[in-house]
Amino acid sequence: MTAARIGIGGPVGSGKTALIEALIPRLTASGVNLAVITNDLVTREDAERIRRSGLIDPARVGAVEAGACPHTVIREDPTMNMVAGDEMEAKFPGLQLLIYESGGDNLASTFSLDLVDWWMFVIDVAGGDDIPRKRGPGVLRCDLLVVNKIDLAPHVGVNLPRMLDEAQAVRGGRPVLATNCRRGDGVAEIAAAIDAAVLFRT
Amino acid sequence: MLRIERVLGSRVEAAFAGALHDLEHHGAVDVLPLAPADVSRRRMRAQTRAGADLAISLPRDQTLFDGAVLLLEADRAIVVRVNAERWLQLSPRSIADAVELGYHAGNLHWRVRFAGESLLVALEAPVDDYVARLGTMVSERRVAAAVLDEGEAA
Repeated sequence: MTAARIGIGGPVGSGKTALIEALIPRLTASGVNLAVITNDLVTREDAERIRRSGLIDPARVGAVEAGACPHTVIREDPTMNMVAGDEMEAKFPGLQLLIYESGGDNLASTFSLDLVDWWMFVIDVAGGDDIPRKRGPGVLRCDLLVVNKIDLAPHVGVNLPRMLDEAQAVRGGRPVLATNCRRGDGVAEIAAAIDAAVLFRT
Repeated sequence: MLRIERVLGSRVEAAFAGALHDLEHHGAVDVLPLAPADVSRRRMRAQTRAGADLAISLPRDQTLFDGAVLLLEADRAIVVRVNAERWLQLSPRSIADAVELGYHAGNLHWRVRFAGESLLVALEAPVDDYVARLGTMVSERRVAAAVLDEGEAA
């Protein structure tokens, strides 16, 4: 059976890499055989950060340089990412989960379902509580919306309950989770959502 | 949970049509209804009309489609039914409005079809989300907007 492929998108600095770093130990501890492919504009910065983290065998972290707006390689033509995923699966037989991290884009970026089976979009409290109201396609269409850095809400004048309510409203009640990835708050719920949606263990 | 790891074929293929016809007479063909936007998914958890909990994980070279047979047993079958696609018909009043509309539709990466002097946009979200993006083009009636179902858009 082929590995499940999931996507993590969202604006630069919202905490996508931090989320992956928080998910890796939790998923591997529960027996998930996983690998990560990061997308960057013109560098391999995110891949290097995860390789150096000590959380995962560095060989299980691949990098795709978009060379252009990062959404182009997750939506318009995801071929480079699909090939990188196929190579990762060939290298690690038994792989169960492949996580694609988008290079960071605006609120309009979405993942092609030719590339991933399920995807989440990460926004953060410090980006402003008006983000859900802007109704970006990434916010509206993802399978799970993650609102990260909730610990910063009082410091940036954000009314967190209202931001979460508005996120729920624009998404028509589809899932929204609040996290503080640096501390691990909410990460268990995200791991459970991945399990239920594509790993089928719950 | 019932695992589905491949599509067996299409309901119109001779190999399945007879058996499905017989099962239909016994009310034993269950349907998995899918939104058009979900058809491209190769892996998902979904529930059939009769309540069967499916865990679908297809090979990367297979996709679901309307009429895809997922299960065929002596006493039951499961077939995919893709819900009708809804379209937003956008009819610009002038060539200048058409050029502007075309720019927005491309910039927003909408899935479109051309229909004479109208642009049809596949609705994957509430219609207001699309109309709001066009702003004054619709409110000033430079573009007329109407929702069509699959039959009307064909």
